[in-house]
Amino acid sequence: MSLIVRSAKNPAPKHTPIVVDRQGPENPPDPNDLASFRLSEPLGSVYLHLPFCFHKCHYCDFYSIVEPAQTPGQPPADRQAAFTDALCGEILTRSEQTAFHPTTLFAGGGTPTYLRPGLWERLLQTLGEVGWIGCPGSTPEFTVEANPETVTPELMHRLAAGGVNRVSIGAQSFDTTSLKQLERWHEPESVPRAVQHCRDAGITNLSLDLIFAIPGQTLAMLERDLDALLALQPTHLSTYGLTYEPNTPLTAKLRVGQVRRVEEDLERDMYELVLDKLEAAGFEQYEVSNWSRVPGTGSGVSAAALTQQSKHTDPTPEARGPKPGGRFRCRHNLAYWHNHDWLGLGPSAASHVRGHRWRNAPNLVRYLQDAPTPPITDHEHLPPDQSLGERLMLGLRLREGLNAGWLLGHPDLREHQRQAIDASVRLGFLEQADGRLRLTRKGLFVADSVIAQVL
Amino acid sequence: MSSDHIRNFCIIAHIDHGKSTLADRMLMGTGAMDQRTRQEQALDSMELERERGITIKSSAVSVEHVYNGKTYELNFIDTPGHVDFHYEVSRALAACEGAILVVDSTQGVEAQTVANLYKAVDADLELIPIINKIDLPSAEPERRALQVEEVLGLPAEDCIFTSAKTGQGVPELLDAICERFPPPKGKQDAKLQALIFDAKYDDYRGVIVYFRVMNGSMKKGDRVRMMGIKRTFYITELGKFRPQMQKIDEPFDAGDVGYMVAAIKTLDDVNIGDTITLDTDPADQPLPGYQEPQPMVFCDFYPSGNTQFDELREAIAKLHINDASFTFEPTSSEALGSGFRCGFLGMLHMDIIQERLERESNVELVQTAPTVTYEVQQRIKGGGTDVIHITNPADLPNPSNIIEIREPIVLAEIITPTDRIGDIMKLCEQRRGVYKSQKFLADDRQILEYELPLAEIIYDFFDKLKSITSGYGTMDYHVSEFRRDNLVKMDIMVNGSIVDALAVIVHREKAEFRGRHLLKKLKQEIDRHLFEIPLQAAIGGKIIARETIKSVGKNVTAKCYGGDVTRKRKLLEKQKAGKARMKKIASVDIPQKAFMAVLDTGEG
Repeated sequence: MSLIVRSAKNPAPKHTPIVVDRQGPENPPDPNDLASFRLSEPLGSVYLHLPFCFHKCHYCDFYSIVEPAQTPGQPPADRQAAFTDALCGEILTRSEQTAFHPTTLFAGGGTPTYLRPGLWERLLQTLGEVGWIGCPGSTPEFTVEANPETVTPELMHRLAAGGVNRVSIGAQSFDTTSLKQLERWHEPESVPRAVQHCRDAGITNLSLDLIFAIPGQTLAMLERDLDALLALQPTHLSTYGLTYEPNTPLTAKLRVGQVRRVEEDLERDMYELVLDKLEAAGFEQYEVSNWSRVPGTGSGVSAAALTQQSKHTDPTPEARGPKPGGRFRCRHNLAYWHNHDWLGLGPSAASHVRGHRWRNAPNLVRYLQDAPTPPITDHEHLPPDQSLGERLMLGLRLREGLNAGWLLGHPDLREHQRQAIDASVRLGFLEQADGRLRLTRKGLFVADSVIAQVL
Repeated sequence: MSSDHIRNFCIIAHIDHGKSTLADRMLMGTGAMDQRTRQEQALDSMELERERGITIKSSAVSVEHVYNGKTYELNFIDTPGHVDFHYEVSRALAACEGAILVVDSTQGVEAQTVANLYKAVDADLELIPIINKIDLPSAEPERRALQVEEVLGLPAEDCIFTSAKTGQGVPELLDAICERFPPPKGKQDAKLQALIFDAKYDDYRGVIVYFRVMNGSMKKGDRVRMMGIKRTFYITELGKFRPQMQKIDEPFDAGDVGYMVAAIKTLDDVNIGDTITLDTDPADQPLPGYQEPQPMVFCDFYPSGNTQFDELREAIAKLHINDASFTFEPTSSEALGSGFRCGFLGMLHMDIIQERLERESNVELVQTAPTVTYEVQQRIKGGGTDVIHITNPADLPNPSNIIEIREPIVLAEIITPTDRIGDIMKLCEQRRGVYKSQKFLADDRQILEYELPLAEIIYDFFDKLKSITSGYGTMDYHVSEFRRDNLVKMDIMVNGSIVDALAVIVHREKAEFRGRHLLKKLKQEIDRHLFEIPLQAAIGGKIIARETIKSVGKNVTAKCYGGDVTRKRKLLEKQKAGKARMKKIASVDIPQKAFMAVLDTGEG
């Protein structure tokens, strides 16, 4: 820097003084205060985490708390009521920080249906009070996850009356040995019973979860599971290859040799069976693990229900268009995969708002102590290249893929990524068609390897 | 002190037979060290030595002992106990007049005891056999004494029974040293000849040279010359270890043992076995037996992980100041980039250097499979032939120019329990061994003598020997010659490309077998890719073994919802970063571990 000596001969130049922003630089957004994000649009998706379970399944790595069922006549031994108070407090606090106009709500867990009906009523009432549900002229997709053993007519009627219109039932398997392997505490018969309770309550948009590649499972066993699943005529299916998550009892058993992982080639055959069978049954795969029924095929859903669904506008530009299966896709999950904003409430719930990701600490004690402002953890704001990486990772999991023109013209796309995309197209793992870049069927099987290449 | 009252001696023992404990006990017996200040095994000074329970570098300690009313100076010269350090043992022996032979009363005579005893006899040393560990319940001292007489030809009644642990027998031993070992020979009025039997590097004082004056005398202030490497130094300090360093300004005469400090900056300037003489009045001849350090086992070190080439170079150079017996020179591999080709005295030496590099300099490295030196006779341009030495299979000349390849052969003495002799012979045969002789050592033990190619024993021969004999088998070996055999280079191809760092020199008849197992091992180490990967072993373009790594069958995360995004992205990035750390050859990511696949001999 040069040093200029000011003197009478060399006076300071006369020009307008620099305007100093008295506010200082813009404060970075604070996850504790949504107002700091200065959102121009209302938040459209809400996730609620209800952590209670009556039993922890051995493969599950979600944040969950096992508390004993309440004995009649005894004071409640659990923290469900306190939790519901805290969650309602969080809802009220958040609703004051920014505008919400949810088109999707999703209650996951834990076991949301393990929350006592009276507490559910309070929760639904609060959601109504803040206007997230029950507003005239809009019917958001409101999904509740259910364990088949906990689905009762009473609860389903209360949920339906409170605005819940979609239930996702964790069937996982219809084979008792497979259920035992997963340490899943339900009987195969309880799944059709749960489905019936939902339908009786008027909830017809039903999703069923299935797990495959369970230790000891054969292709024939999987085929029987799929048949049993399809016989229930759901509108939506999620099928998951069993994942050995770190810090789960299942993974510990794997390590010590108590269970044996299904061979990779058999797992491939199983996934292939799932793809073929569900397609033949009139389901359209729209994500690696998710299928929706194409209306007009199968039965069991009233025409009225279909009409009601069709009223909803598709929230995502990618999903618009003449896609017959689009009607029963889970629009809440599509918000994740389209990288839209959502707010998560309850312990361990993750949020994504304007490029910021964070989660509530997975700790019920602290959640209750700090209510109504939950402790925040893992807050990050991604640099552009990582943000694009997430778009790639999420978008390629969708069968519709990504908008090719948008992606290939993206300023943050690096040369090595472009080369990796070209190579994957050449090798037949990716394809470019109709202006979209997507995984081929061959690429679907090795999606992680392909995505890791282009990241 | 008159040289009549000096006794220079060493201890010959098998590993674990209690040499270091005995040495400590002798120091205590003479009052040089008391129980309270005693740190376990005072003579083994390196951390690594203590952990492994072996002595890597020898030392010398001088103590006083009163016998028959006269004060004697006992100079105890410690010897390394492992087969890799033969030459250093022989130099330590050359500095002594006597040797204490330690036999474990529970285990009897072992291979190294025998080998070192022969060396001691060759060096004309007086011997005192002792039967140690007599405090143990399973001790059979009388039986072992008879074995000593039978096998080693030393009278059983000469044996002293000791327990280094309790101190029993140690006073008798100290007396016997004064009585039975002869005083040092050597001419006081001759020109100076002092034998260097060890050297250590000290961060503050430079190299500390351990010497024994054989003839003549030397003192502080003298200008001395190392006759082998032809360099001169100015002595700034002479002294003895008691066991702490003690400066001595008086001259050191023939028979004296001590240390010398002379502003020597690196161990490269000092070779064990070299002769020190006066620069102004040099001896005509150096002492006999001097050899340049001869590395026998070679491997490459390449930087890996976060370590850069320059860091590795610095770490190796620093360690070399402490241990000049390994060699290093820059090398490069298409597969692994720039690194160093290093030579070692043996396998243990190699392991020690690798561990010390990682431990003391905190570097991450990839080590390639060890190999030996080969002599290659080749045709040269314009007719005629010459002989080159290669330590890396990739350096082999064009096969059409090779007349013959010769490999180092060792003469190995294996002591084994009699009931395992068949299995040991089978093992030696598998390793291309040539049977030489078989001798009874005692009723339940035999000595087998085999000629074996060094290349066949550097991998896992010791481990095999130990497991066959439930730990009782022992072995000693030395390189005897280079011998011609039907040796060929086996190339390894991954996805159609030759990977230079995986090439091996093998015997033609064992090539298929080695090739198949090498490929099987590689198949385990290399992850499945998005495409099928052929693995091939070839000799001169002819494929002799083949394996295929199938392409990825299924690799797709089942669940990726809102809460999974961050973790999932990090997992994929980690996967990507892991690949970046691997060596990419012919589009295949090869993990560093795969380069050691060559070591798998496939014997199961």
